[in-house]
Amino acid sequence: MSRAAMVLMMTLITVGAARADGDPVRGATRFQECAACHKLDAGANEVGPSLHGVFTRKAGELADFRFSPAMKRSGIVWTPETLEKYIADPQAMVPANRMPYAGMTSANDRADLIAYLVNATK
Amino acid sequence: MTTKLKEVDVVIVGLGWTGGILAKELTEAGLKVVALERGALRTNENDYSLPNIRDELRYVVRHDLMQNTARDTITVRNNPQQESLPMRRLGSFLPGEVVGGSGVHWSGHTWRWTDMEFKIRSNYEERYGKKSIPDDMTIQDWGISYAELEPYYDKFEYTAAVSGKAGNIGGQIQAGGNPFEAPRARDYPLPPLTPILASEMFTNAARDAGYHPFPRPSANASQPYTNPDGSKFGGCQYCGYCQRFGCEANAKGSPHMTVIPIAMRNPNFELRTHSWVTRVLKDSGGKRVTGVTYTNVLNGEEFEQPATIVLLCAYAINNVHLMLLSGIGTPYDPVAQKGVIGKNYCYQTGAGATLFFEGKHFNPFMNAGGSNATIDDFNSNWAFDRAPHDFLGGYVVAGGFNTPLPIGYRPVPSGTPQWGSDWKRATAKWYQTAMVINASGSVMANRYNCYDLDPTYRNAFGQPLMRMTFDYKDNEHKMGGHAAQTINNIARAMNPTRLNPASARTDPWTVVPYQSTHNTGGTIMGTNPRDSALNKYLQSWDCHNLFVIGANAFPHNSAYNPTGPVGALAYWTADAIKSRYLRNPGPLVQA
Repeated sequence: MSRAAMVLMMTLITVGAARADGDPVRGATRFQECAACHKLDAGANEVGPSLHGVFTRKAGELADFRFSPAMKRSGIVWTPETLEKYIADPQAMVPANRMPYAGMTSANDRADLIAYLVNATK
Repeated sequence: MTTKLKEVDVVIVGLGWTGGILAKELTEAGLKVVALERGALRTNENDYSLPNIRDELRYVVRHDLMQNTARDTITVRNNPQQESLPMRRLGSFLPGEVVGGSGVHWSGHTWRWTDMEFKIRSNYEERYGKKSIPDDMTIQDWGISYAELEPYYDKFEYTAAVSGKAGNIGGQIQAGGNPFEAPRARDYPLPPLTPILASEMFTNAARDAGYHPFPRPSANASQPYTNPDGSKFGGCQYCGYCQRFGCEANAKGSPHMTVIPIAMRNPNFELRTHSWVTRVLKDSGGKRVTGVTYTNVLNGEEFEQPATIVLLCAYAINNVHLMLLSGIGTPYDPVAQKGVIGKNYCYQTGAGATLFFEGKHFNPFMNAGGSNATIDDFNSNWAFDRAPHDFLGGYVVAGGFNTPLPIGYRPVPSGTPQWGSDWKRATAKWYQTAMVINASGSVMANRYNCYDLDPTYRNAFGQPLMRMTFDYKDNEHKMGGHAAQTINNIARAMNPTRLNPASARTDPWTVVPYQSTHNTGGTIMGTNPRDSALNKYLQSWDCHNLFVIGANAFPHNSAYNPTGPVGALAYWTADAIKSRYLRNPGPLVQA
């Protein structure tokens, strides 16, 4: 890798880091990207698992959803930080997981989404 | 032993787009509806999800979502002089067999067919004279107008999450859309899909050549969407597994994730899967149907399901087959040109080129079902003068990809060996560098292209197979030549490193390679019972409580994919049943 590419990548990583000041109202709009598959009601597993109480559980923990072995093995504990990192590039963080989503590239969008989910998943 | 069941208001045969739309609409109108589907219930949650859905062997080679030819198939021949033989393996077309039907595995291309098709004979006679239509070309007007269908196209596009760019809103031409489309009341529900390199290059080349490229309208949601019924769509992820697969991202407009679950939540609705309808029953006078008989294919039990209204919503070929098996209407005789059931079977034609650009990376594994740009200059463009080229109808040309399969799509320049080390080297070298330009062309009805019952071969239920007699005629050969020329002109202007040029097909049609699941006609709609099987509401001229809904009703086939008018006609028929037929059961059009 060239020096310039290294610098560029490090810049991207810095820009891509989690932010704590997301806007939950904008986050509700961002959640539309997730809503076709994920519901917020307890037990409402559809194409994706229910996100109710996601910040109180480990990845792959829900008994009545068929998670990928990769997700079950990942050992992730869902926090605003880990979910933010995951949603940025799901296949990078958990290779071979079965969520068909390419990733949310904008750090601002992710911060907004997480800010929304913190309360909406309670 | 046939068990006779309790009568219901409506029995629906086949639960894909048309059956799903009618099931939803009629249960909401308070009718008790039973749907009989040959296939199984499969869902996005349990079946069309990662990683299992990305299985080319299962879904493409073994046709997991398609009709099982070991149970029932068709026999085919090119002309009445030939002996017809059974199609023992699916090839040229792929009827779906699952809840959702072919609406599960389609690509989503959604067009509005216009008065150019609906008034085809009148249009050509008016412009080119009666003699312009050959004697054996049995094209006829449909008995319906674009203006009548416009609100129903709109309803279908908004239900199915069609992404696209309008070209004509209320008569105002819109930049970036298809300038030749008929006026629409409003734009598509979603903006176009993100273009891919191949479609961008085609767009530029087509524009430079003076044509009018636009993004193909497709029921692949370009962004998250909730349709007017409340069905939620995810945004397309450009995964490359569209045609022949269920959608892993909940982004492809399909009946099993829109209208069917809504019907299933309604207590008026009952779905019976694995139910194979063998016959539509008539009363003693023959003027009404009384229900259907069906077999549970899991255990062989036979049932009679009486119903006040029967809706045939199976795949187009199977709807016609049921009409012939049930003796409804007069079978078509191509020699005497009498009768209507089986008449005007049509297909589509095409041509294609593969362009190789050394140094380009097209990433063919990343695309949506509708990732291509299209030109309509030789189809809906009525200013295109057909006279010098001596053909009727038209074709659309598209550049881009639709489901180039990771294993099956192996573009190599012509002249490359078909196997061995040289082939391996070539496929590695050229895979990333290739893009395709394809044309899809109309097929005009011909008196000898038709269906009837096969005299020899029978299906698993002991019933005669459907026999298809079809070949391309002079009109299609000439159009194919013109299309190939257009494609090659655009392709050469793009200056590829290597080009596998398009050529017109002149060899007889064969059922072996896949071509297109756009089979039309057989029980066609029209203005009178002498030359059509159905009126403009897709109601049987013979039995007023029987409706036959699908592409079987098209009197000829256009260059466009058929699902737009199939969906619109389903809503149109549902409205006619709800608003008129239920109040006053009888013929909706007086013969």
